[in-house]
Amino acid sequence: MKISEIFKLSLEAMRERKARSALTIIMVLAGCGLMIALNGISAGQSEFIKKQLNTLAPNILFVNNGQRSFRGGGDTSQTPSIVINSIVVDRIKSLPYVSDVVPGYQAQVTLNAAGNVITSSVIATDPQKIYLVDPSLELIPGSSIQPNNPSAIIFGDSVANPPGKSTPFVTLGQTIRATYNYVDQDSGKQQQISKSFVVTGIIAPTGNNQLDRAVIINTASGDSLFNKGGKFDQMIVAANSADYVPAVQNEITTLYGTNIGITTPKAILEARERFTSGNNSFIQNVAFIALFVGAIGIVTTLYNAVNERIAEIGTIKAIGATRLFILLMFLFEALMIGLIGSTLGVMSGMVGAYALSSIGGPRPGIGGGGAMGFQRPIAPEFIPNDIIDVWILSVVLSVIAGLYPAWKASGLSPVLALKR
Amino acid sequence: MSDNKSQIALEVNDITKVFATKAGIIEALRGISFVINRGEFVSIVGPSGSGKSTLLNIIGALDRPTSGKVYIDGIDIFSLRDGDIAAMRNKLIGFIFQSFNLINRSTVQKNVELPAIISDMRKQERKRRALLLLESLGVADKARLKTSSLSGGQQQRVAIARALINNPTMVLADEPTGNLDTKTGNEVFDLLRILSNKFRRNVIFVTHNQELAKKTDRIIYIKDGVIEREVLN
Repeated sequence: MKISEIFKLSLEAMRERKARSALTIIMVLAGCGLMIALNGISAGQSEFIKKQLNTLAPNILFVNNGQRSFRGGGDTSQTPSIVINSIVVDRIKSLPYVSDVVPGYQAQVTLNAAGNVITSSVIATDPQKIYLVDPSLELIPGSSIQPNNPSAIIFGDSVANPPGKSTPFVTLGQTIRATYNYVDQDSGKQQQISKSFVVTGIIAPTGNNQLDRAVIINTASGDSLFNKGGKFDQMIVAANSADYVPAVQNEITTLYGTNIGITTPKAILEARERFTSGNNSFIQNVAFIALFVGAIGIVTTLYNAVNERIAEIGTIKAIGATRLFILLMFLFEALMIGLIGSTLGVMSGMVGAYALSSIGGPRPGIGGGGAMGFQRPIAPEFIPNDIIDVWILSVVLSVIAGLYPAWKASGLSPVLALKR
Repeated sequence: MSDNKSQIALEVNDITKVFATKAGIIEALRGISFVINRGEFVSIVGPSGSGKSTLLNIIGALDRPTSGKVYIDGIDIFSLRDGDIAAMRNKLIGFIFQSFNLINRSTVQKNVELPAIISDMRKQERKRRALLLLESLGVADKARLKTSSLSGGQQQRVAIARALINNPTMVLADEPTGNLDTKTGNEVFDLLRILSNKFRRNVIFVTHNQELAKKTDRIIYIKDGVIEREVLN
């Protein structure tokens, strides 16, 4: 039995009903494409988060007086906060395995650069200590860190050069005006404080959203601009090494209990992985259902084809075709629909993933804080083994879907078939 | 005796076929027995519902009898496995149907080649045979056309070519002129006559048409599932 000849007969049958075959292929394409796209987007997001975390030094902890903590174990309860002041800073600095503590203020500030206005989160901290967060951080040529200059301001790359804009927001040496709005505690009225700064440094792109969107002034400038009165919003605690991070975390928790929020890159990663695995299962199930629907489409198409071609099947049996010949004729149709649909599905899934992920929007950073502003899109990641697995699954499902109609066709009585 | 046996192409031995339907039990054939010698052109004639087509289907192993045996070239065909029966149909028997039963989406040539494709004939050989047959049947110029663009007579010629491509010893024709006008029907009948006379094929020809039946070597008259009489022409 020449398999190639049976294949040609199947192809002929598909060509005869082009529209129906095309629609069935589209069903398989949609299922396979959805699976590829969702897998790619999910993998891209995981990779993005990993890269974000990889740029951060592994020995740091982000401590704030906020209400959420990433201790791991899913504990995200809201609790009363403490005031982080110099006493707390010194107390934590004195703990074993702690090499440095860098306190800071943070507030939403309106920045006006030559008439261009944005609102951004500004961090007031010792600018020399930004290397604690990312030791590989670099500044663009011409930049300088001036820790004692009350007018110095450093911008992250995404703020200085907003994605999608042809002109930069700020350049080195430019003067900008920062305005902080707040409600006076005594009068209850809306107040404003403004101050001019000179851009002394721009951070080269780090790949970390939090750093790329950072705007940094020194601690004293922040204290006066934000009127914080020495009450810090956050601290960066550097352990002696990554191995001591859990110990330091325990020590701080022992001291302050749940009154303080602690975030570590490892805890974020663990929380992310828990969310991702749950999310991935959901995504896989949704995509599998789409593939299954495509398979049902094949059953319907071939079942109809068998019913329409009963007389033909009878004739072919009469001239000597075996059950296997007829079975293969229809199975090959299912196989071709699966092959074409799956292959096009992989390609369209990859294109679709890029299209979906290019729809940008505000994305929160990692490690505390939450500056607003448009992000560069997160590129999907395609793992070759995953693509092959999805392609094979889609093709196999298609063939399985074709089994019943093919079996039905092969079992037809030639006499009854010829009577149709 | 052995000479007689070697002359026998087909032996039908006490065939009975019973159908169980909602209307009750129907005995389509009862105790049918006859023998066909090599090269004979035999017609089976009878009114509608007499069992002619049922008999032809059993001879062609498209259907199994309720009881009885059919021997083709001395082989009890219903003792074979399904796959062997299919192979026997493919190689030893050629079918011609009243409605032609061609595959409309395929070309004329492809239709003719189909039994040869099933029998795994080499591509070049089957193309050569197909074109030769089409030429001898006067439709070679239609080889690349779809069968639906042919007239009834032309389609039946294509069906005859298909029936002959594997060089079968027996051709079973179930009312092949039924859907054709008289002239065309006569032409098709003449082709079958040539098959028998010139090429020594057995042709079993089911028909209502008494005029055509009289031109065959022998007529087997069937009525109500039994052989009424046999007439040598």
